[in-house]
Parts: sequence; C-alpha cells; structure tokens
Amino acid sequence: MTGVGYSDLLAALAPETALVLAAVAVLFVDMGLMRSAPLRQRFLTACAVAGLGCLVTLGILASSGAHLRFLDGVLVVDSLTQWVKVFLVVLTLFTAGISAQAEFTEHVGEYFALVLLATVGMMFLVSTEEILMIFVSLELTSLSLYVLAALDKRTRHASEAALKYFLFGSVAAAFTLFGLSLVYGLSGATNLTGIAAGLRAHRSDPLLAVAVVMVIMGFGFKVAVVPFHLWAPDAYEGAPVPAAALIASGSKVASFFVLAKIAVLGFAGVEGSGAWGQLRAGWLPVLAVLAVGSMVLGNLTAIAQGHLRRLLAYSAIAHAGYVLLGLMAMGYPSQRSAALAAVLYYVATYGLTTVGAFGVASVIERVLGNGRIDALAGLSRRSPLLALCLMVFLLSLAGIPPLAGFFGKFGLFTAAMGADPAGLGLLWLVGIAIAMSTVSLYYYLRVLKQAYVVAGDEEASRIVVPWTDRLVLIAAAVGVFLLGALPELLLGPLARAIAGGNGF
Amino acid sequence: MPSAPHPYLFLALMLAVGLVFCLGMLGLARLWAVWVSPPKPGLTKGAAYECGLAPQGDVGIRFQSQYYLYAIIFLVFDVETVFLLPFAVSFTGLAPGAFVAIMVFLLLLVEGLVWAWGKGLLRWR
Repeated sequence: MTGVGYSDLLAALAPETALVLAAVAVLFVDMGLMRSAPLRQRFLTACAVAGLGCLVTLGILASSGAHLRFLDGVLVVDSLTQWVKVFLVVLTLFTAGISAQAEFTEHVGEYFALVLLATVGMMFLVSTEEILMIFVSLELTSLSLYVLAALDKRTRHASEAALKYFLFGSVAAAFTLFGLSLVYGLSGATNLTGIAAGLRAHRSDPLLAVAVVMVIMGFGFKVAVVPFHLWAPDAYEGAPVPAAALIASGSKVASFFVLAKIAVLGFAGVEGSGAWGQLRAGWLPVLAVLAVGSMVLGNLTAIAQGHLRRLLAYSAIAHAGYVLLGLMAMGYPSQRSAALAAVLYYVATYGLTTVGAFGVASVIERVLGNGRIDALAGLSRRSPLLALCLMVFLLSLAGIPPLAGFFGKFGLFTAAMGADPAGLGLLWLVGIAIAMSTVSLYYYLRVLKQAYVVAGDEEASRIVVPWTDRLVLIAAAVGVFLLGALPELLLGPLARAIAGGNGF
Repeated sequence: MPSAPHPYLFLALMLAVGLVFCLGMLGLARLWAVWVSPPKPGLTKGAAYECGLAPQGDVGIRFQSQYYLYAIIFLVFDVETVFLLPFAVSFTGLAPGAFVAIMVFLLLLVEGLVWAWGKGLLRWR
C-alpha cells in the first residue's frame, strides 16, 4: 500500500461523506417524521435538511487543506479539486433552493437524496484520474440524474424527456466504456498519466483514433455538444425545473473538468492540431469540429424557439461550444494554466447563471402554468424582481459587461487566441465564436423585450415570489454581477490553486 | 517479398462479411416473401394464435411489473454477498479500519432495505 490509512482517506473524503450522510438524513426525516405532513411542508423541510448538508459540506471544504494522491490517481484531492467541489456544492445548494416550493412529486425525500447523491458522483468525478473510477462516478451521477428527470410522473412531457435522456445517456455511456476499454487495451494502464505514457508508442494507430473519438462522444453527450445534443432541448423543457437546472449546471461543470483531465493528461501527446489550414489528427481537431457545430447550430436554432427552457437548452449547446475553445487552448502547454483558469471561471459562472435562469423559469411556470416566451409579456410590471433577475442572467449569458458572462467569454477567447505558439492558429474558431455570440444577443434580447417592452394583460395581478426563490434568485444575480465586476475574486484563488496543483 | 497484411485487414473483412451476410439474408427473405407468399391478411390470419383454440380477447395484454421491485431489492443482497464473502474469508487478518468500512457498507444496504420497507414496497398489491 502507499501508506495512506483509513483516517487519511476519511479526512480527504469528508465533504463527500457529509453529503452522503445528508442524503440519508433527508430520506429518513421525510419518511419518518414528515410522512403525514402536507406536501409543501415536506418540500420545505427536506430542502432545509439538504441545504444544511450542503452548507456543512461547504464549511468542510473551506476549512480542510487535505492533499492526497491515492493509488496513482484513483483519488486526487488538492486545492484545485476542492475549488471545483465548492462550485458543485454551491450549485446544488441553489438547485435545492429553487425546489423548495416545488410540487411535482410526492417522493420528496427521494428527490433531495438523489440531488445530493448526484452531487457526490460529480465530486468523485472531479477528484479522480483513473478511468475506472471516472466511469463509476459518471454512472453514479448519470443514474441519479436519469431518475431526477423522470420524477415528475404525472405529465407525459416529463416522461418523454426522461426516456430520451436515459436512452441517449446509456448509449453514450456504452460508447465511453468501449472507448476507455480500447484506451486501456492500447496503453495497458488505467490511470491517466500511465495512459499518456503507454500511448506514446501508438500515436499513429487507427485504433487510438477510434478510442479517442468514442471517449469524446460519451462526454460530448454529457456536456451536450452537437451532434450529441438531441436530448438536451427535450430534457431541459420536460424534466422538473430543478432537475433540469442541475443537469444544466453542476453536471456540466464536473463533465467539462473531467473531459479536460482525460484529454490533457490522458491523451497527452496525441493532441494533433486544430489550427486553420494545418489540421492534424488528434483530439484537438475532433473538439474543433464539435465546437464549430455547437456554436453555429446552437445559436441559430435558439432563434426559433418559443419556450424559455428550450431556448436555454439551445443556448447551453452554444455555450458548450465556447467552453470547448478553452479546452482546445489547454492542448497547448504554454497556455495550459491560463486556459484552465478561464474554463473553470466560465463553467462556474455559467452554472450560476443557468441555475438562476432556471429559477426564474420555475417561478414563472408555477404562476403562469406554462413557460412560453409569449407568456412573459408584462412581466416587468407583474414582478419587477423576476424581470430584473431574468435580465441579469440573460445578459450575462449573452456576454454583456459588467456581468460574469462577459469576462468568462473574454478569458476563453484570449486563451484560445494566444494558445498556438506558432501563430494565431485558433483564430478562425474565435472568429466564429464572436460572430455567433452576436447572434445570441438577438434571441436573449427577444426574451427581454417580451418581459420589458410588450404590454401584457392590464388586469393581471402581481406575481408573489416566495422567499426561498427570492433568496436564491437575488444571491445568484448578485453573484453573477460581483464575479463579473471583480473577476479576481474567483480567478485569483483559481490561479493559485492551479499553480499549487500537480501540473494540471 | 510480399508484405504482411495490415493487422486491421481481418477486422475490415469481418465487417464486410457480417454486413453482406445479414443484409443478404434479409434481402433473400424479402424476395421469398414477394415471390412465393404475397401478403393476404384476413381476419383468421391476423388473429392471435392460442394453440389452436379460439382466441379470447386482444393480443395486447397487461404485464404485471410489480415484481421488478423485488428484483431490485434482491440485487441489494446479491451485491452484498459479493463483498461479504471475501470479508468473511480474510476476517481474522483485517485491520480495524477495514472492519469499520465493511460495517458502514452493510449499514448503507440495511438502510436501503429499511427505506424500502417504510415506503411499503414489500407489500404485495
């Protein structure tokens, strides 16, 4: 053994342990104490227990300086993974917050337990560098999310969305597993650094190309990039709002982080080149194709959407395309740490913005009965707070300063511009990204026009926003504003964590 | 000197043979159906086959799916055994940490059972 005892493991995994305990607690509080209480109270109580669990976990994450590298990367805990876990737990906390007033299921305890267990899966996903562990934690996350998407059994829409999500997801998981098995077959190692060393002898092997493409396909599904995006619009629209918010935020943060790890650490040496005019086989050109497809198709299709959550889904596809630019920049060693910081800043703020936008959508859908964009008419008069929050989130997604989305995109694009030491190789991608961001402004503003300019029903009453939703929305909006105005708040610690990490 | 065939030639050949075999069979079946037995659906032909007796009711019947819950709970114990057997074999040589770890694992599984019980999943409806 490596001299790591059970107590060291427990100390390194204290945050995950706390969340699992919270999941068990939420189950038993709901089943034991709240069994005969009305549904609203059960949701509120379970949300309080889950939120408390998240806060305790955040406290543990903030106070522990655990550093551990167990069994060649089966478990990696350093300050960088701790930061990503903080993002995940904060996003889960907000997700729990926007589900406090929900009424979509009577399985309340199970719902919150699954949210927490999905988060545990994501946390394991970010703190491992071993492909078996990656796959197991990916499945823990995915299975919890499939069930979450299917919890609203009363509407046909939700069942359809859940079935699509499940079927696409399991096929994608099969591809990942097959790809990973090929990688293992070629390299003879299961930890990422060993894989990189083992692949050195097989750089021009066609089997390696198949393996790389298959692994990227599986993760492409998780982060919803074209052409593996078909589930996203349906799942975002049909699944219960908080579940969709978790799928759109936390799951993406974790998936992007682990995809970056696999590509940069595991496929080191088989980058190829994605520069214009000198494409060379490797994972960079694969990501380039996915990025272009996602940015173009996501943004152009979003224009035609009439449902707020469907629009957010297509915008999510487009944003996944932008993040892929940052991942490509990480393929060039000179820019690696700057690009990693940019990617993490982007996915964290993007997750925050998305949870906020889904929070607005959940309140609106509860009051208006549907989530169509037309129904937003007159929102600024019926609820100035909701309209203002919606504006902050959508403008941040569009990338308007001083909101976080602007600085995130700026960081990603500069990282991609400066990545290629031989010149501006990735400039063509950045050009497409900027052009497509301009397109995206149009459809975000269309929603805001409906909320602010179009006059609604004069008789319509004011919308009362419950205090839990108000808390989450205001916190998310303030966070988006603060992180955009003072990006150093997040970028500084991230840069220190990356510099102090183990070369990633 | 003839060069050795490419190592993936075999796979490519298998793929081609597999495709030709499957599609060829399907095509032959199709041709047979068109030439020898053209479709002539009728009331008798379309009826459900029930061992020669007169069919009762519709073809689409409802399957009872409650049993899946038992199957899942059975799986809990099934997986438990996989871990408990090596645990029992090496019991005397185990560190206290390992003992606690397996007890936590057992506790989690028992909690699953308690939850299923409390939910009323063990009641046959």
